[in-house]
Amino acid sequence: MIKSFRRRFAIFQRAEFLSARDMLQRAGAISVMFLLVHLAGFREFTSVLNGTIGSVAAGWNLSAFLAVIYILLYLAFVILVPILVLAAMILTIWQQYIQKKENSLTTPDANS
Amino acid sequence: MKSRMARILAGLAALVIAAVIWLPCLHLVFTRPLSEFCQNQGLSPKARQLAAWQLKLWTEPGLREQELNKMRVSNAEWDFMGRSFFVWSLANMALRDPASKPLYLETMDQIIDETLRLEKQEGMCFFLMPYAKDGHYVIQPAHSLFLDGEIALMLASRRVVEEKPEYKVLLTGRVSAMVERFQKSPRMMLESYPDECWTFDHCVALDAIRMADYLDGSDHSALIHDWIAMAKQKLVDRESGLLISSFMTDGTPLYGPEGSTIWMVAHSLQLLDEDFARDQYKRARKELGAITLGFGYAHEWPKSWKGEADIDSGPIIPVFDISAGSSGMAPIAASAFHDDEFLKSLAATLDFAAFPSRTGGRLKYCASNQVGDAALLYAATLGPLWQKVKTGAKR
Repeated sequence: MIKSFRRRFAIFQRAEFLSARDMLQRAGAISVMFLLVHLAGFREFTSVLNGTIGSVAAGWNLSAFLAVIYILLYLAFVILVPILVLAAMILTIWQQYIQKKENSLTTPDANS
Repeated sequence: MKSRMARILAGLAALVIAAVIWLPCLHLVFTRPLSEFCQNQGLSPKARQLAAWQLKLWTEPGLREQELNKMRVSNAEWDFMGRSFFVWSLANMALRDPASKPLYLETMDQIIDETLRLEKQEGMCFFLMPYAKDGHYVIQPAHSLFLDGEIALMLASRRVVEEKPEYKVLLTGRVSAMVERFQKSPRMMLESYPDECWTFDHCVALDAIRMADYLDGSDHSALIHDWIAMAKQKLVDRESGLLISSFMTDGTPLYGPEGSTIWMVAHSLQLLDEDFARDQYKRARKELGAITLGFGYAHEWPKSWKGEADIDSGPIIPVFDISAGSSGMAPIAASAFHDDEFLKSLAATLDFAAFPSRTGGRLKYCASNQVGDAALLYAATLGPLWQKVKTGAKR
């Protein structure tokens, strides 16, 4: 039971740094955080970029703070996430290629 | 240890390769056919969506107040300019889409009437920055060419679409007063703020005068010709060849060439002196316009001029020197001069970095504000109004 639970949530287990799974986990974490701030309506506060307060009630400081959080997560989502996913794919393909090559070198030819 | 190092190096190499693949492709996600932003005839989808948001503001007073208050905290001018850009856009839209003309005319009248009421009730400083009250206008009685020019152009634009006798009287009054002050001023330099004159405001005011000539058969071509000659002689920055933004009544420069001014100035000049307009656009495009990885943007100052970020430039994004104010106005000139490559890349930047928000067929850019969105709507619709006046087409 516990084994099955662990296997099911293996994706959440800490992966080795800069491994393909690590990259996908980071991409997932960024996406979830961006989705949360997006749904929370932080996008409205980005008007501080042109010098307009996001909300008169929230004031300048809070508006700017929420805008910075949104902008950083948005940039991470549109720039970093695809790079992380692509890098994970490249790593996986590379590792499969290496594995294949190693296997062909170590496995004796069946016909010989 | 060795395998850990190898794994990290492989990971870093994969990240670099992925970045090299993704970054040049990023703009493809945001680049759309130009026809989505503006069209030669009719209204583009984006113009309709932007207009729907602006129209909603003028049918829901609570929402309008909320949006205008947010802008007025920073700059009361934006409240005024948002009205101007929207009215000028509606005039172009009415000429592009005659079926919707009654709605557009009604909204134009509503905006003009409310603006005139506020000006009369609260005084001209209501739409100006607070320092308008601090100094003394050189030419008395005090007038702001910023207000007079844009109001006159609103009235004239409305009348080009369809005559309204009440506005004829109002336009004639504004134009006569501006012309009289131009004639009285030894250098043809009129103030928007105390001893502070703006090229933008002069060009808009002269557009209104030119339009009044078209509407009422008057002739101020000599005045326009003289002002252009004066501007070429006294208001052009030697290094860049661009018109400076502001100056004192004695001609002393205050601010040099600025993107937040020159893009609209180049478009305004199209109605006054087509060759000079094209020359200014070409120079501005070369000095201020930029496209990086498929995304278009604009600087506030040419390389030869050092300026400091202010309310007009907006915050400057370092490294690329991107000015929010200049980049927001650049689509107007790019559209007016049919610079499709630049306009398409600017539109891609808007969708990438201005945070569009679409609800119920309405579009606004969250990183912008009402005046910014109205200026973009103007960029997406401009053309027919200028064309009608330039060709002298029958009304």
